[in-house]
Amino acid sequence: MIRQALRRNPWSFLGPFCTQLLAAALVAAGLGILTSIDRAPLGAAARRAVTDTGLTDIAVVFVTLAIYLTVVIVGVTMVATVAQQARDIALVRALGATPGRVRRSVAAQAALVAVPATLLGVPLGALGGRAWIDGVVTRGLAPAAVTFHPHPAALPIALAATVGASVAGALVAAIRPSRVRPAAALAEAAAPPRGVGGLRTTAGLVLVTGGSVLSAAIARLDAETADALGLFVMLALCVGAGLLGPALLRVTALVGRRLGDTGRLAGDTVAVQARALSGALVPLTLAIAFTGVKVIMLKTFEHETGAAPAAAERWLEYSGTSVYVAFAAVAAVNTLVTVVLGRRRDLAVTQLAGATRRRALAVVVCEALLVSGTALAVSAAVAATTTLPLLHTALGTWRPWMPVGWLLTGVLGSTALVLAGTALPAALALRRPPIEVVS
Amino acid sequence: MEPVLELRDVARVFPRGIVALREVSLTVAAGEFVAVMGATGSGKSTLLHCAAGLDRPSSGSVRLAGREISRLRERPLTRWRRDRVGFVFQSYNLLSELTVRQNLALPARLGGPRRRGIDEVLAAVGLPDTGPRPVGELSGGQRQRVAIARALVTGPSVIFADEPTGALDPTTGGQILGLLRRAVDRDGVTVLMVTHDPAAAAWSDRLVLLRAGTVAADAATPDAPAIADRLRAVSTAVAA
Repeated sequence: MIRQALRRNPWSFLGPFCTQLLAAALVAAGLGILTSIDRAPLGAAARRAVTDTGLTDIAVVFVTLAIYLTVVIVGVTMVATVAQQARDIALVRALGATPGRVRRSVAAQAALVAVPATLLGVPLGALGGRAWIDGVVTRGLAPAAVTFHPHPAALPIALAATVGASVAGALVAAIRPSRVRPAAALAEAAAPPRGVGGLRTTAGLVLVTGGSVLSAAIARLDAETADALGLFVMLALCVGAGLLGPALLRVTALVGRRLGDTGRLAGDTVAVQARALSGALVPLTLAIAFTGVKVIMLKTFEHETGAAPAAAERWLEYSGTSVYVAFAAVAAVNTLVTVVLGRRRDLAVTQLAGATRRRALAVVVCEALLVSGTALAVSAAVAATTTLPLLHTALGTWRPWMPVGWLLTGVLGSTALVLAGTALPAALALRRPPIEVVS
Repeated sequence: MEPVLELRDVARVFPRGIVALREVSLTVAAGEFVAVMGATGSGKSTLLHCAAGLDRPSSGSVRLAGREISRLRERPLTRWRRDRVGFVFQSYNLLSELTVRQNLALPARLGGPRRRGIDEVLAAVGLPDTGPRPVGELSGGQRQRVAIARALVTGPSVIFADEPTGALDPTTGGQILGLLRRAVDRDGVTVLMVTHDPAAAAWSDRLVLLRAGTVAADAATPDAPAIADRLRAVSTAVAA
């Protein structure tokens, strides 16, 4: 069954493979940077100087964040992949596979993808880490004595993170199809449940509330502690928003329905696909909110103090962020592609009902705009909640500052990303004659 | 009166030289109910696809509702199909996650005509109160009724039906065929139906038998046992 699933959906496993490869690289790079600073042959004074520039702190944050992001994003992509197999799972259940067997095989699939991805990702991460250390040294942020050393346990740590997250995500996605009675599962695969799970909504509300409360609480602390805790505010809000994703997307769908016939069709689709599409909402929101928080902090600092940071310092701030953002962006595109490819048949049916290729594509583009609009609105709220207490503790202001050019770039960039993950695979899928797809 | 569908010397050769249709000519008048039968691989589905503009013949011409469609580009062809043709498939081909009403509104939202009201066609197919229900919750017979309603809502000239009762029990299948028959008799729609079931073909006015990509027989439809005999005769002739 495992081999069958892999052979039948090689493309849907490519997504998790890429994400896991990047995740392993990120973890290995972070660990390597930490080791390199640790092992550099430096005198006491030189070491203190390195610590004072905040390089060690940055490396620690890098590793922590890499592991957090791996767990969240790898888990989410795996959920999307296994959710696409719900019908196949129902089928093998009907043929006599026990729920335990289904869970074991899904877990094995997840591990089977994660191990080679990690084996490739770790050396890639070592290369990236080396490049980053070189960048730090050439910019004079660290003495030349600091050279790259890979972490001795990078491989087992990366494996634990990717395999653990991948298997956990797959198991979570398999809970529903493996537990329900086969007859119900087959019927459900034809018409997935429309409501949002109560547990999911509760968990989402708890995380969003927790994040907001934490945000209010840290506004009263000193700047350094607030800065360290700000990360958790953002993660809680992003994951919480992801859990509330189906509900949020249904709200956006209502907006879409007001935009003419194409918008109505797109809105209807987004509403029924809300659960699947919300898998893309977590990484998208993380990517946009992450960049937003970083840029707002730096730009507000410049705006308030009138001092621009040194080029080297700016490089330090943005290089880390861009790596996370690229990672989250890849994961978002993966999930979107998985969802769109899972809908090939629906697209063909739309064509048979009279849609020209251009019209069918217009509907998909409209769906993409609704999804990216939701992600942008949610990220803006997350970024605001995260940055306000940090700005208040560090600069004593409640007013974030963001240049219009940056804002526009962000909006256009996120929209382009969502379009790449939806319109592109849809355009490819629409090239096959519809009657071939449905028969 | 001009025929609503006219195939002239239509051939369809698939890649690697597999010949599905060779030189088929067929003229269907408005308001006719035509059944196309033949053994598996005789080319009946290919004939339906070429006639409906879902596939292009390798040679020959197809006139559908007064327009030559075999050389039409993809976009005008899709529009012509959308405005003049309705489809009913064995596998329903509805969007199962959307509601019945949303499925029936689909052709109009895609720019097609809506010559009849959604409630009117739902009542006509015997499903007056299902509008708000997701198609995925309906039984097979109900889904096929929705598919017929979707075909009727645009007020098409021709309905192409590909094994419309293939997945249904005889009683439910009979009800579906009754709906197609009624569309012909009451609304003047033309129906071209591909089937392998003699009982289904018995609802038609005219029976076309295909053998190895050619028309083997074309006559008024006899009763079901006679259809089965003719079908057997045509099929064994291939084997011989």
